[in-house]
Amino acid sequence: MRKVAVVGAGMTKFARRALETPKELSYQASKAALDSAGMKLKDIDCVAHGSAPDAFDGIHQKGEYLADGCGGWNKPTMRVFVGGATGVHAIAHGWYHVASGLADTCLVVCEEKMSSAMPHAQAFFLTIFDAITERALGLNLIWIFALEMKRYMERYGYTKEDMALSAMKNKNQGLKHPASQFYGGNELTVEDILNSEVMASPVSRLDVSPVSDGAAAIVLASERTARRLTDKPVWIEGVGWCLDTAYWATRDLYYPRYTEIAARKAYKMAGIREPHKEINIAEPYDPFGYKQLHHMEGLLLSPKGKTVELLRDGHFDMDGNLPMCPSGGLLGVGNPIAAAGTLKLCELFWQLRGEAGERQVPGNPRLGVAQAWGDLMQVSSVVVMGINNA
Amino acid sequence: MGILERITKNVDNKYWYPENDTFPVKNRYTAGVAGQKFFQELKDNGKIYGTTCAACKLTFVPAKLFCEQCFAELDDWVDVGTTGILWSWTIAYKNKDDSKKETPTLLAAIRLADGLLVHWLGECSPEDVEIGMPVTAVFKDPGEREGSLLDIGHFKPVIS
Repeated sequence: MRKVAVVGAGMTKFARRALETPKELSYQASKAALDSAGMKLKDIDCVAHGSAPDAFDGIHQKGEYLADGCGGWNKPTMRVFVGGATGVHAIAHGWYHVASGLADTCLVVCEEKMSSAMPHAQAFFLTIFDAITERALGLNLIWIFALEMKRYMERYGYTKEDMALSAMKNKNQGLKHPASQFYGGNELTVEDILNSEVMASPVSRLDVSPVSDGAAAIVLASERTARRLTDKPVWIEGVGWCLDTAYWATRDLYYPRYTEIAARKAYKMAGIREPHKEINIAEPYDPFGYKQLHHMEGLLLSPKGKTVELLRDGHFDMDGNLPMCPSGGLLGVGNPIAAAGTLKLCELFWQLRGEAGERQVPGNPRLGVAQAWGDLMQVSSVVVMGINNA
Repeated sequence: MGILERITKNVDNKYWYPENDTFPVKNRYTAGVAGQKFFQELKDNGKIYGTTCAACKLTFVPAKLFCEQCFAELDDWVDVGTTGILWSWTIAYKNKDDSKKETPTLLAAIRLADGLLVHWLGECSPEDVEIGMPVTAVFKDPGEREGSLLDIGHFKPVIS
């Protein structure tokens, strides 16, 4: 396998109802990523595209529709989609193109425009459940996550306040991200979150990331091309992904086993033996406050059942031992499903190059991990990125 | 039409309206090979069945045709009883249009053998609910059952 570098990153604002069409959003993110790398579209050999269900944008086979916005004109273009995990999955998919030697450069673009789904994007989630055994009950995603969150809290004795603390951390960090819909807004307190309306206990409204429109992109290059383009390439050290099944009846809900399997694959490729000691920055997927803690355990970055203790001790703060979600994540920036995972890769790129501005993690971080999760609580994709290890 | 019935001639579907040239998109699902027996038992006998994989020592509920772990075809049907353990639960306060439910919904994940059934919880108030407690299926009257998960009206706590 050849070494693969990230040489550019870009994203749109994650907005509640963007004026731009899905194509235009994809174009803006792609163009920003190319500009940051000092590249033109003609320098791109192929496109790895990610977008979650067609239903959100309301265009069937939207991969084909989005192709020109993603820079796919007359190029080999492939789309992957694994629900919320798409944004990180697409990078693993793009990595293959370059690592295999098939291409020297690959533009990875993820997009989601959820606001065109009427009356609400959640309506399309109603049909992800098994038609025969689950749908009859009128299940929706919030209810299912409530079951998972409850199980997680019960297993370790975590409280609603613990979970609110986790959500608050990202909401407030997101205020510093220029692409956030909350940029420059006011900080929230734990009480604000605890006092927000209960939707399905224990999930309150502010425990949940906001439905958004947006796109994010990164540019991948082979080692030789990367060194020609930049003196600060960020290397993809490892990728891993794993799917459990949509028949979730046979697993407990308190631990994301599939995340651990994906993480172990990525760490092995990266030569990481003790992730909790070696990783400097973590961007776990955080559609809900509890999810990022759940994922930190699955990523082997926090011992099972000790995560709240570490959170309260400041271990995951920007100046802590292992800063968690310096981007502000889905809770703090917004959640346009596929693009939300790529936001995390963009963040690692900026953080590892020391270009994260107000959000910059101190101490020259060298190794970061990003993870996204999706489908019916069953998929995780993990990417490890690092700098200066040529 | 229930999921246990089958249509073999497309014209009998009644989903195509040539008179105004519309073709509304709908899905009519089948119960599946395992589902056919699972729901027939639910409907006819008020029993919950799982299928067992001897090699993996797992009993799947709802019943599956195959073991997802070793790919064995499963035909060892087991009556797992109608009482399970409450694994997790939630109280849903909102309707889909974001309005407040008049009566909040109690939704539960119930462990039966090695599987989970998701269903409503009834005949109890939230204060009585505790993870780990036994809950039992309350079936509709035989005449009202149609071969659906809703042949079980809800689960209720087992009063000891």
